[in-house]
Amino acid sequence: MTYTRREILETLRMTELENFDVRTVTLGVSLLDCGHPDPKEAARRIYEKLVRLASPMPRAVQETADALGIRVANRRIAVSPVSLIHTRPEPAAFLEIAAAIDRAAAEMGFDFVGGYSALVHAGFTQADRALLDSIPDALSGTSRLCSSVNAGSSRTGLNMDAVRIVAKVLKETAYKTREQGSIGCAKFVVFANAVEDNPFMAGAFHGVGLPEAVIHTGVSGPGVVLDAIRSAGRCDLRALEEAIKRAAFKITRVGELIGRQVAERMGLPFGIVDLSLAPTPQLGDSVGEVLEAMGLERVGACGTTAALALLTDAVKKGGAMATSAVGGLSGAFIPVSEDATMIAAAREGHLSLEKLEAMTSVCSVGLDMVAVPGEVPEDVLAGFIADELAIGIVNHKTTAVRVIPAWGKKVGESVSFGGLLGEAPIQEIRTLSCSGFVGRGGVIPAPITSLRN
Amino acid sequence: MEREALALAVSEIVLRHFPEGIPSPALEGVVADLVRLLEGAGGGGQERRDVRHVVFTSLGRNRPGIVHAFSEVLARCGVDIVDLNQTLVHGNFAMMMILDPSGASVSFEELRAALKKRGEELGVLVFVQYEDMMRAVNRI
Repeated sequence: MTYTRREILETLRMTELENFDVRTVTLGVSLLDCGHPDPKEAARRIYEKLVRLASPMPRAVQETADALGIRVANRRIAVSPVSLIHTRPEPAAFLEIAAAIDRAAAEMGFDFVGGYSALVHAGFTQADRALLDSIPDALSGTSRLCSSVNAGSSRTGLNMDAVRIVAKVLKETAYKTREQGSIGCAKFVVFANAVEDNPFMAGAFHGVGLPEAVIHTGVSGPGVVLDAIRSAGRCDLRALEEAIKRAAFKITRVGELIGRQVAERMGLPFGIVDLSLAPTPQLGDSVGEVLEAMGLERVGACGTTAALALLTDAVKKGGAMATSAVGGLSGAFIPVSEDATMIAAAREGHLSLEKLEAMTSVCSVGLDMVAVPGEVPEDVLAGFIADELAIGIVNHKTTAVRVIPAWGKKVGESVSFGGLLGEAPIQEIRTLSCSGFVGRGGVIPAPITSLRN
Repeated sequence: MEREALALAVSEIVLRHFPEGIPSPALEGVVADLVRLLEGAGGGGQERRDVRHVVFTSLGRNRPGIVHAFSEVLARCGVDIVDLNQTLVHGNFAMMMILDPSGASVSFEELRAALKKRGEELGVLVFVQYEDMMRAVNRI
């Protein structure tokens, strides 16, 4: 037989029993040629371009998925950072564009569209300021739009002014979407060292160095890794890493396969596979469960950061062998609300925000999908974000914060978003003031390690 | 051609064992047969890559006539069974077929739908997919 019985059954096991799917096929589109001084005209051009390029994609994805026998959970679009699209630099102008992008995505059946973004790691343009001011209205007035801000980089340092604006934006967005558990904040992320080819939300945008349009994929697969760890039994850590690498290899191969075939069907170039393990709130599809299967009583126990370091490294090594085009964030995500085991550990008080912060120094992103009480002061939120971004800036990695200051909610309660965004328990955040520090404003200069030339 | 040369060499060995000789047309027939055999065997590890095979798997409770029921659909669709493997585990069966759809009278979607429908009638699970994922996951 061309394939052995075991090979065929194991492959079916991945897709049918271990919740393996391709999390997203993301179409990146440049909108930089759609600008116009009149925002209505810019919005019209954007809508037309999105429909022209993206409308064949849902069908191309479905046909590819059917032919290969694999599920694709989400279809997404990433557009150029919207603050770079030439138009009147006023919040109202950007809101026109937000509405046009959201309408195009909804009409074509896309799940999310990212790129309502500003890159302000070294300062603001007029347009950046206008876009930032418009974010609460943009996120409360749309359903699929995602927004992000790059507030720091290892080459330029941390723009604390941007961080303070982001804290204000978050509070406003939380209030404006208070009827839905402050869901607007779940569609907003602030980065240090944002990447240009990220297929995952909320942080996807189509970077300025990328081609006109491109197909990226992001895989999932904690269930496959979990099974590999359980099958490996009581082995030592090196053997454990080997088992994870093999599973990551398989997962990433499928991501690349889907991406290449969808790109071919659409006549577009294939970009990258983001090999991050993305969990879902579904049982058996949890990164937290993977960490616990490695031998922790609960996520958050001592040893959690070390276990996550091993996992992230193994996923990268296995994944890098499987594709010639690794990109995006590529590591392991730890979004609390999107991961059943993390939710449970946070509820039981085992997984504190401080422990999560430590974990983010070895995983691919950061403090992701954590909810805090709605009354958290703005300066505390700014300090919380600055801490996380500093980890990224100093360690030359991407870090991010996607925090929900859930309006009207207190520690012990929770907010539910449904779908892939899941349910977030409100966690305790230290409210000691840091306004004397973050309130100074300005920029934390780039670390000495930025001088590499 | 390498395969023909190999077939000829094999034939010469055969001939040495028939000192009285074989008539020329018969020898050509033997060579042609051997070439076909070698091609079918994949020429010693070199798999043919021009056909995009379909992997068809069915899982469920065992009962008589299952293979027949599916083969009937395949015959009707003009799909060639390249390989067939069946196994029983605790009264459940797993049947795996590698199919060559290149001469099929129906599209992949129609073939998939026909097999799924037959699977539902039989009360067994059916998975139909191009071999791409099997290859991607299991071959480097």
